Amino acid sequence: MRTKTLLGKSILWIFLLVFAFVTLIPVVITILGSFKTNSELTTGATFLPSLWKFSNYREAWEQANFSTYTLNSLIVALTTVVGTLLVASMAAYVVERMTFFGKKLYVGMQAFTMFVAVGAVVLRPQFDLMVKLNLHSSLWGVILILISAHASIFFILFSFMKGIPRELDEAARIDGCSPGRTFWRIILPLLGPGLGVGALFTFRGAWNEYLLPLVFTMTKPELQTLTVGLANLKYGISAASQTHYMMAGACLSILPILVAYIFANKSFMQMTAGSLKG
Amino acid sequence: MNKTKNAVFSYSFLFPSAILTLVLGIYPIAWAFRYMFYNYKGYGEARFTGLDNFSRVLHDSQFWDSVVNTFVYAGGKLLLSIPLSLLLAAILNRGLRGRHLLRAVFFMPTVISTAVMAVVFFTIFNSYNGILNQFLIKFNLTSSGIDWLGPKHAMLTVILVAVWGAVGNYMLLFLAGLQNIPEDVYESSALDGANKVQQFRYITLPMLGPVMQMVIMLAIITALKGYESIMVMTEGGPAGKTEVMFLYLYKLFFPVGGNGASAQVQEFGYGSAVAFVSALIVGIISLVYFYASKRMNRTD
Amino acid sequence: MMSKRFALTSLSVVLALGLTACGSNAESNSAGSGNSKEGEKTKISYWTGDRHDAEFVKEKVAAFNETNTDGIEVELVVKGDDFDTALDLSFQTADSPDVIRVKENTIGTFYKKEYLAPIDEFLTDPLKDKFPAMDDLNTFDGKRYSLPNYGTTMRLIYNKDLFAKAGIENPPATLPELVDTAKKLTEAGKADGAYGFAQNFKNPPSALGRSSRVIAELSGFGGFGYDFKTARFDFSGFKPIIETFKQIKDDGSMLPGVESLDIDPLRAQFAEGKIGMYLSFSSEPGVYSTQFPAKIDWAAAPAPTIDGNVNGASGFLGGQWLALSSKSKHKEAAWKFMEYMYSDAILTDYQEKGFGISMVPSISAAAKTPDVKGIEGFLPNAHDGVWPVYPTVAPEGMKSDDAFFKYMLNGGDLDAVITDLNKRYNAALDDAIANDGLKAEPDPSFDPAALGGKFAK
Repeated sequence: MRTKTLLGKSILWIFLLVFAFVTLIPVVITILGSFKTNSELTTGATFLPSLWKFSNYREAWEQANFSTYTLNSLIVALTTVVGTLLVASMAAYVVERMTFFGKKLYVGMQAFTMFVAVGAVVLRPQFDLMVKLNLHSSLWGVILILISAHASIFFILFSFMKGIPRELDEAARIDGCSPGRTFWRIILPLLGPGLGVGALFTFRGAWNEYLLPLVFTMTKPELQTLTVGLANLKYGISAASQTHYMMAGACLSILPILVAYIFANKSFMQMTAGSLKG
Repeated sequence: MNKTKNAVFSYSFLFPSAILTLVLGIYPIAWAFRYMFYNYKGYGEARFTGLDNFSRVLHDSQFWDSVVNTFVYAGGKLLLSIPLSLLLAAILNRGLRGRHLLRAVFFMPTVISTAVMAVVFFTIFNSYNGILNQFLIKFNLTSSGIDWLGPKHAMLTVILVAVWGAVGNYMLLFLAGLQNIPEDVYESSALDGANKVQQFRYITLPMLGPVMQMVIMLAIITALKGYESIMVMTEGGPAGKTEVMFLYLYKLFFPVGGNGASAQVQEFGYGSAVAFVSALIVGIISLVYFYASKRMNRTD
Repeated sequence: MMSKRFALTSLSVVLALGLTACGSNAESNSAGSGNSKEGEKTKISYWTGDRHDAEFVKEKVAAFNETNTDGIEVELVVKGDDFDTALDLSFQTADSPDVIRVKENTIGTFYKKEYLAPIDEFLTDPLKDKFPAMDDLNTFDGKRYSLPNYGTTMRLIYNKDLFAKAGIENPPATLPELVDTAKKLTEAGKADGAYGFAQNFKNPPSALGRSSRVIAELSGFGGFGYDFKTARFDFSGFKPIIETFKQIKDDGSMLPGVESLDIDPLRAQFAEGKIGMYLSFSSEPGVYSTQFPAKIDWAAAPAPTIDGNVNGASGFLGGQWLALSSKSKHKEAAWKFMEYMYSDAILTDYQEKGFGISMVPSISAAAKTPDVKGIEGFLPNAHDGVWPVYPTVAPEGMKSDDAFFKYMLNGGDLDAVITDLNKRYNAALDDAIANDGLKAEPDPSFDPAALGGKFAK
């Protein structure tokens, strides 16, 4: 019996370690690559840099205007997260819990946008709309469009909402809680894990968004986000790409997503069986 | 009375989402779709051609090849990534020492941007001096190296990369879903003598139900629509071997050109028709899955 | 709870920052419209997708802003891959650029989209004579929309060290020689991982646009399969060229993995000495002096022809540089800036610093050879010439470059591929003539060989 569990444990750990290794290799190559010269990186033969070019990071930081653009990216990403979670969780709540006319239509509409949307193809009409609203040279235009694409977060939160027992709503109603209060005080706190993952995915998506900030800041370079700066890094001042700077910049720009991950991971840990009893 | 109050409340909560989706989601799609009955190249007059674009879609072997490729790609990606991520989530949910670190490790790939992936996976997979082949040759697993990005293996390679990039996402979603399962259920079943595998089969899977159903549906849609990582790695090549539906569609709107290449024509009209048919394919498959999984849940 | 507090704090921080940093409408109005009250500056913007000369142009723009006496201030905007998308969208707004960098494969489209304004009213007679007018490259329907600055030539670029090692004296001049040379180079270099030939087939239009195009043109065939004599598409001239490339690949003389090779990795491998020959543009010397310092001795030679007979001209690509936007509110000011950029001093400097090979006869007669190692082989010779512009059509089904590359990989019947291409391209041509007002008139007297030599020194 004991040898059997030991064997099982070993197999489990071998699986985990091998899989972790395979998962990490490309990440390690990315990080190592960011220290190589452009020739070495582009030639692609080596694993370790033959010459450690720490200056790639300095160049990337300066050329991509990191200090300015990071702030813009943070504004876009955080506002989008808050907006998306709010809009999607409110909709998911009423769709999961209430009955009203047009519910199927609404859900169909959300599904439809997911089946079709290719960012670049619908960019033109979205941009035209923002021109009419005079938001075409502001980050608000970017944020609004990013928030509008909340279908997948809606469906994720909807499915998490299903896991929250309806008895809780019922108990709240008997206590005289309005549906709105029930949502804010009971449902949202219990939706923690779903909101955590949703926030993380939205943050990552908004942080990495390239085309929208590019076209919405065409005439306002001071509003550009980090991704636009990073693309500028790649196409430096030569006919060939400055891939080494791009890699260094990309490694730096990963850090905020990792911070977001740490917060999100905390949100799953919060949720324990205890809080269900609420 | 109560009913109207409820409806008013519901609509007020739905309003922000509905209005944003209508204006910035549905309207732009409708705007693009209206060109599907026209011959429009991005300038001059859009010429009404009725259903011509659709009969062209029917005979477009490049498109239907890309549909087949999409099925292979999406099928491969889903069959590998969903079970793997579910397994990882179950293992890393409770108890195991080092699980926080391991979760972070499996999440890492999802933060790497597609532009970087192009460089990194070329470094790994290129057949001339890629790291993977160097490794395989060194350990005598192959004599001359494998043409990972060549016509025979390119699809496998892009699937592996897609799985690498997706497992972390689905693992996190499953992990979040698992938080809704109260700890005491596991505890009492352990007292009843259930082992880990039995717990997974009789507690984890059923209780994860709605979340799993939704995650799989999103995964299906994402896999069918995925094209960005393929675009940066192979641009659909070699010779169309990895060209998937949405990449083909993207190229109709934004053709590949470059210095020295001829001027490119943007096919707005035909592209919209292809977009419509592609959306139909994605929609049908997703709905079939959705209703099938609903029925399965019920019979369970 | 902690995450909730974090969310709330970040929300308030974000909103506070957002209000100040997101840019309000009032602000955009005052910055966007040209004449602001203070200083009486006329603001114009210049958009370019060029990277190789960005530092140089930046310097010149700064000098213009300082020295011009008309109160004009030019804002330089350098964009990357998405230049065309950004430009399309900017023409939906009031903030489109005043001056636009146009290229040989974009000026026609921009003209059709009515982005460009003719510049004839500004052109003095000396300027008209100084800058050659070229149909469809800078002149449409008798009106001029741009002026040439520099052009790009296409050459065979080869690794001299590897040639010496293989005991080969001269770069190949015919397709059979190309096959043979690639084979010999591979034999000599394979032990060190070097191969005879390479092409960047990750992007077939880019790969063939720099290789089969120039071989066809120099041999007397239209580079994209269009025959100016008959005004029809006829890809049969490509048959020996594509067969040659396939032969090189089948011989094992092609760098392994060209299917997924991009141009930059190709260049990096060439700089390392792993590639014997490839075909590309006159922008390569700049790359080997800055981005990928070449570890080998290399040179450029004219591209080979099908059978050694030069029946055409090696394309000299260019003929346009800056253009005036049709929506510019300050055309006079924009033109003053263009006039400055087209001054002898700047154009001469442009060539001498090595950013491009001048296409303006008076400049190229006087300016010194560009200061970049390896550029000598790219300077225009008796066989470089400007081809007329090929009509742009949208065939149904696979594009020619993809069809040719597919044949190279899978084999099959090349004649059938060519017949099919001819049929589809001509159908698209007929459609464009009938419906889009495209003009394609046969010119029986067209002689591609006569195109060459006008830019030779």
